[in-house]
Amino acid sequence: MKTLLAWLLWLWISLVIVGAFFYAPIAEHFRVPGSSRIVFFHVPMSWASFLGFIAAAVWSGMYLARRNPRHDRKAAVAIQLGLLFGVLATVTGAMWARIEWGAWWNWDPRQTSMLVSLLFYAAYLALRQSIDEPERRARLAAAYALLGLVVTPFLFWIVPRITFSLHPDPVVNSSGKVEMAARIQHVLYASGLGHVALFFWIHNLQSRLQAVTERKSYLQE
Amino acid sequence: MEIGALGWVVGVNLVIWTGIFLYLLRLGKRLREMEKGS
Repeated sequence: MKTLLAWLLWLWISLVIVGAFFYAPIAEHFRVPGSSRIVFFHVPMSWASFLGFIAAAVWSGMYLARRNPRHDRKAAVAIQLGLLFGVLATVTGAMWARIEWGAWWNWDPRQTSMLVSLLFYAAYLALRQSIDEPERRARLAAAYALLGLVVTPFLFWIVPRITFSLHPDPVVNSSGKVEMAARIQHVLYASGLGHVALFFWIHNLQSRLQAVTERKSYLQE
Repeated sequence: MEIGALGWVVGVNLVIWTGIFLYLLRLGKRLREMEKGS
């Protein structure tokens, strides 16, 4: 059943890739028109990153409530994946910025707020590395990740909307409307769903891998 | 039949995605074996 679901995901994302190039039209008002296709990959990566950080905060809250190490492990893995997708979104965005704006890095509010959130969560990993005692590490890391419930929405959603940005309008623009061609929306949302499914699949694998590794090292001690 | 530049880009993307997918699938299989063993 799980293998069948995995193959369905393969098919889904394959269709997204084909759709991004052969189904969705090229968006208007871009200096290099074909570059608008990045929206189908760069934006969902950013959504997956956001999802990782918020999911980590939820699992951290559950850890603090129940003190189950499984929740701590899930939170840490969600942040690792949030960072992975965030770095991918930043790198693909920089490549696009080079083509469209003429420079890899422009200190655009969205670029900057993503950089700040990556640093914020890199510090989470540094915090975990600096504490040896597992229970104390989990407790402090959970408290730190919970801060993400305030920090992440502020950096991902509020900062880019209250400052002038070079970025194209967000999916839901400042007047609260979605002004994208229907076919672009189809591929974008399908890609978003695919990225979310991929996130949870990798999250499941990585959490289980850590659990097995921890169990092995515990038995060896 | 002409494949065209876009066809090549799609092809390369599909090969990369399939590679990542097969790696994850294999990792899941190995994990199940490790979980049974431990």
